[in-house]
Amino acid sequence: MLLALLFAALAEDDRELAERLKRRDQNAMGDLYNRYGRLAYSLIYRIVKDNGIAEDLAQETFLRVWNRAAAFDSSKGALGAWVMTVARNRAIDYVRSVQGRMRDTVYELDASDNPVLFTTIDSDILNSERARRLKQAFLSLNENQRLVIELAYYEGLSQTEMAERIKQPLGTVKTWCRTALLKLREELGQAVAV
Amino acid sequence: MTCEELRGCYELHALGVLNEPERSEVEEHLRRSCAACTEELRHARETNAMMFASVPDVAPPARLRRRIMASIGAEPSRGWLSWIPWAGLAGAAACTVLIYNNLQETREDQQRAVAQVAETDARLARMQDAVRMMTEPETRQVTFGNGPQGRVLVNAKRGVLLLATNLPAAPAGKTYELWIIPKGGAPRPAGLFQSDQNGNAMHMVAGPVDVASTGAVAVSLEPEAGSQAPTTTPIIVAPVAE
Repeated sequence: MLLALLFAALAEDDRELAERLKRRDQNAMGDLYNRYGRLAYSLIYRIVKDNGIAEDLAQETFLRVWNRAAAFDSSKGALGAWVMTVARNRAIDYVRSVQGRMRDTVYELDASDNPVLFTTIDSDILNSERARRLKQAFLSLNENQRLVIELAYYEGLSQTEMAERIKQPLGTVKTWCRTALLKLREELGQAVAV
Repeated sequence: MTCEELRGCYELHALGVLNEPERSEVEEHLRRSCAACTEELRHARETNAMMFASVPDVAPPARLRRRIMASIGAEPSRGWLSWIPWAGLAGAAACTVLIYNNLQETREDQQRAVAQVAETDARLARMQDAVRMMTEPETRQVTFGNGPQGRVLVNAKRGVLLLATNLPAAPAGKTYELWIIPKGGAPRPAGLFQSDQNGNAMHMVAGPVDVASTGAVAVSLEPEAGSQAPTTTPIIVAPVAE
């Protein structure tokens, strides 16, 4: 969590960094790694729980960002959010493939880390105040709610898979997920009236 | 389904784990350019990014940076020289190695300088947090001694701060790990850290902490990637409970 505090200072420089990445400036890749390498590695390690694999997947993550940077809108996008999403998806893809649970209940992650999707996200999203509120919100969840959130974020399980894993009715799992996610949003001030 | 009924689905959709029929429903709303769902998904990606950034800190190996730079052709691997098969080119190859190594060192110096600036910024931010904690009256402070000496500060709003001296450098492949031990509960991992060349260490666990239910804070030596539970006898134990 402490690393998230650094984002506050880093966010304002992300636009320039993204521009340099789009221009294929190789030094920008070093700067990108300095900024998000440790955080991306920590996330991947949290998911795969193996140093060597985390290293390979972190390399894949940064290469993917490098190869797709041209599509990123540096004037509006949240570079950190995109890098972290790519890292998480690489790790989940790996876990899914070794567990042999491909595609009946879950779907391709490729589309979900398309850089275009990150052009409307607040570039200052990963700042210390929000990190604090998120942690507070997460701690306010009950044990069941925390469990399903962790299974979705860090194990890539669908609700059907969660229900099987924890031997609970699908309806119960859906209720836990919904309540937990709405609570997180509420704490983060993201409740949207629909 | 209505947008209201789909609330709570957007994060899962952005994570790629939403089941049918909700998944098709969300996608149908997006195809219709539903403004509410578009906005909900934007927030969902923000929440997800914050969740991704909230994982425990783990230090990557130093070679990862070199690997990544090499993968984009920025720092070619030194190994290619060994593929030159002609003995007659040995002299030229030796010169190439010298030039290459000089260039390599210059690049590495630059990278080290950039990394040092980032590290200094991070240290400064941690120092500021520490000073704020120390000056707040509600912060609980406990000291520890015998070998490593120092104090632990616990602040309900800011978190836990460890300040230690006389802490020897961790052996190669090892690191120090902080544990927060709830009263009557198992130690919870609270981050990895190293001591500096003078044997000093400062480690901050930022975020709210329930002071009343915290029994102690401890530090043990662990493998580089950290552990989920202590694997060695703690070398620091600071009872926090009153």
